Amino acid sequence: MAAVCTASCVLTKKILSAKALQTVSQSSRKLHFSIYGKNKAKVSDGISTQYPVVDHEFDAVVVGAGGAGLRAAFGLSEAGFNTACVTKLFPTRSHTVAAQGGINAALGNMEGDDWRWHFYDTVKGSDWLGDQDAIHYMTEQAPHAVVELENFGMPFSRTEDGKIYQRAFGGQSLKFGKGGQAHRCCCVADRTGHSLLHTLYGRSLRYDTSYFVEYFALDLLMEEGECKGVIALCMEDGSIHRFRSKNTVIATGGYGRTYFSCTSAHTSTGDGNAMVTRAGLPCQDLEFVQFHPTGIYGAGCLITEGCRGEGGILINSEGERFMERYAPNAKDLASRDVVSRSITIEIREGRGCGPEKDHAYLQLHHLPPQQLATRLPGISETAMVFAGVDVTKEPIPVLPTVHYNMGGIPTNYKGQVITYTPEEGDKVVPGLFACGEAACASVHGANRLGANSLLDLVVFGRACAHTIADICNPGEKLSPLKPNAGEESVANLDKLRFADGSMRTSEIRLNMQKTMQNHAAVFRTGKVLKEGCDKMDAVYQTLDDIKTFDRGIVWNTDLVETLELQNLMLNAVQTINSAEQRQESRGAHSREDFKDRMDELDYAKPLAGQVRKPIEAHWRKHTMSTVDPKTGKVTLKYRPVIDNSLDAEDCAAIPPAIRSY
Amino acid sequence: MSLLSACASASKRLVTQGLFVESAFTGYLRTASGAVKDKEPLRKAKTPQGRFDMNDEKTKDPLEKFPDDVNPATKEQGGPRGPEPTRYGDWERKGRCVDF
Repeated sequence: MAAVCTASCVLTKKILSAKALQTVSQSSRKLHFSIYGKNKAKVSDGISTQYPVVDHEFDAVVVGAGGAGLRAAFGLSEAGFNTACVTKLFPTRSHTVAAQGGINAALGNMEGDDWRWHFYDTVKGSDWLGDQDAIHYMTEQAPHAVVELENFGMPFSRTEDGKIYQRAFGGQSLKFGKGGQAHRCCCVADRTGHSLLHTLYGRSLRYDTSYFVEYFALDLLMEEGECKGVIALCMEDGSIHRFRSKNTVIATGGYGRTYFSCTSAHTSTGDGNAMVTRAGLPCQDLEFVQFHPTGIYGAGCLITEGCRGEGGILINSEGERFMERYAPNAKDLASRDVVSRSITIEIREGRGCGPEKDHAYLQLHHLPPQQLATRLPGISETAMVFAGVDVTKEPIPVLPTVHYNMGGIPTNYKGQVITYTPEEGDKVVPGLFACGEAACASVHGANRLGANSLLDLVVFGRACAHTIADICNPGEKLSPLKPNAGEESVANLDKLRFADGSMRTSEIRLNMQKTMQNHAAVFRTGKVLKEGCDKMDAVYQTLDDIKTFDRGIVWNTDLVETLELQNLMLNAVQTINSAEQRQESRGAHSREDFKDRMDELDYAKPLAGQVRKPIEAHWRKHTMSTVDPKTGKVTLKYRPVIDNSLDAEDCAAIPPAIRSY
Repeated sequence: MSLLSACASASKRLVTQGLFVESAFTGYLRTASGAVKDKEPLRKAKTPQGRFDMNDEKTKDPLEKFPDDVNPATKEQGGPRGPEPTRYGDWERKGRCVDF
C-alpha cells in the first residue's frame, strides 16, 4: 500500500513538473488517481494558473450513472469505445435505486400480448403529447430490453413455468383499450430499481469503462454548436477536469428538488438540464411535473391511495372532512388530481394545518387498528419512521408531492439532442445525446404511466449506445478544442467559492422551493402562476447576493450545493414560465381557468366539417424553453408533436381522441 | 473526583425535583463506589457483533415471507412479500407508495 502511494506520488510529481507549472508544484496538490496505461491525461494551465486543469480524451463521455447512464456507458464499452462515466454519486447511490415498481414489457407471459397495445396505452397516457415514433421505438424494444436485462442476471420474479411473472400496473390494457386489464409489469420482488442498478453496475464492470465517481459536471464544452466534451470538478481534491470526446451522453436525472415537497433524493437537481440551458440549447416540456396527492410533510415519502381506499379521510385545520365539498360522491376516493387540487385549495385559503399552515392531515385513527394491520401492514412503521406519529392516535401530515419530471432535454427517438426552428424543423446537435429522466424523447408526453419510466431508462440508454456505434468508430481523432474552453465555468466556480453576499444557499433554496410549491404546484391559475413568475424572478436575482462559507477547494460541499442551486434555479424558472404560458389542461398540467384540452380539432365532437387550427392557435405542441442565465429571462418557442410512428404498416399511429379511462 | 461529586449533586437535584432518572449517572456512581448491584444488565452496543448476541430481539417484519418464496395465491416465485402491492392501483408497500 505504501509502495503504491509513493509510486503514485513520484509519478504525479513527474507529470506536474514536466509541465513546469510553478504555482501547481508550490501548492503540491496530489492527483488522487494514478495515471497509467492508456489514459493520457495531461495537466494544462490553459484556463487559469490558479485552477490547473487535467485534460482527458475519450471516445465517449456519459454524465450520470443511474439506470440510463450505466446502460449507455457499458453499451458503449461493449461496442469498443473508450468510455468515461462522470458521476457525482457512486453509481449504486443514484436515485434509480428507489424505484420499487416494475418494468412494462409486452412479453405475453400471463395472457396473449402485443407491443402495439402497449404503444396505444402509452400514447393515450401521454395525452397525445408524446412523440409517437419514440413511443413506437420504446414499446417495440421493450421485450428485447427486458430479456436482455434478465440475461444480465436481473432476478425477476417468476411464474410456475419459469417465465417472468407479470402483474397489472400502470393503466395497461389489451386490444387498444377494449380488451380489459393487461398484465405487463415485470418486477423483482419490491426492489426493481435497486436490482436494476446493481445488475447494470455489475455488468458494466466487465468492460473497461473508466468511472470518475464524485466528479461534479459543471458545463458542456460547446464550440460552434457542436458538443466537444464536459468540464467537471473533482470533489475529492478540487481539481478541474476536462473530458474531451466526440460523443457526450447526458443522463443526470430529474429536478424534483425545485419543490418543497418531493420524493426525489437531495441530489436530484437537474444538472443536465441546466448544463444544456447554459449552452444555449432549449429544454422541452418542463411544465409537466407529476404530483401525488398524499406525500408525508417534510419527509417526502408517498402514502398509498389505499389508505383512503380503506377508509382514511383527509381533514383540514378545522377538523373538517373537506373532500365532501369538492367531490360529494366520491369524497376521499376521488381521482388523484381532484384530491391534489382540493388539498392545495384548502391550504391556499388558510385552512392548512401545522405551524405554517401548509399541509393537510390524513386521519386513520378512526379505523380499527386490527384492520389497519391486516389491510395495510407496515403502515404504522412507516408513519412512525417518516412522520413521527403513531398512526392509531394521530393523523399523518400530508401534502401534494412531486415525484417525476416528464420534461427535459429534447431528443429524437435515437437519443440525439435536437433543436427546433420552424424553417428547418428538428436539427440534431452534433456530439450530444441524452437519455433517462433528464431527456424528453418524448415518450411520457403530458403524463407518465407507472412502470414506463424504468423501461424508458434502459431502452433509451441502449439507443444512445447503438446510435453512437452507428455514426462513429472507436479511436477516431478528436477535433481541436480551444485551450481556454470552459473558462466561464471555472470563473463561475471561483466566484461562488469566494461569494460574500448576505443570503445563505439554504435560505435562497428554501425561498425557491416554497415559491414553487405555492405557485407552480397542482393548483394552477393565471393569477397564481403570474405571481409565481414574478416571485421566482425576484428569487433568481437574489442569487447574486449569495454567501458561501467554505473557502477551501477540497470536498467543498457548500460550493457544490451552491452550484446545484444554480442548476435548480434554471429549471425552476423554466418550469413556472412554461406553465404560465400554457393555457389549457393536459395530463399533469391542469389549470382551473382553462379546464379543457385545446387541440387542433375538437375531438369531443365529430370531426367532419371541423377546420384544423393552425399551430399558433392550439396547444398540442411541445414547449421549448431557453433562459438567459445572467438575467433569468425565459424565452418560449413551440415545436409540433410527431404524430407518425416509425413504420406506418407495422404499427399505425393513433389519432388523437378524448382521454378517458 | 470532582466530576463524581458534580454527578452526585446533579442526580440529587434531579431526584429532589421529583424526576426519577434511571440514568447512566447512577450506574456510574455505583460502579465507582464499588457497590455494584445493577438492576438490569448494561445494554450492549448496537454494533453488528452486539446484535448477533441478542438473538431474541428479532425485528418483527410486518410482511411475512412466503414459504419457499412462492406466493400461494398467484404462484409467483421471488415476488414481493405481503399482500399484492398493486391492489390499490399504485405500488404500495408498508403504507408507502412508490409510483415507479
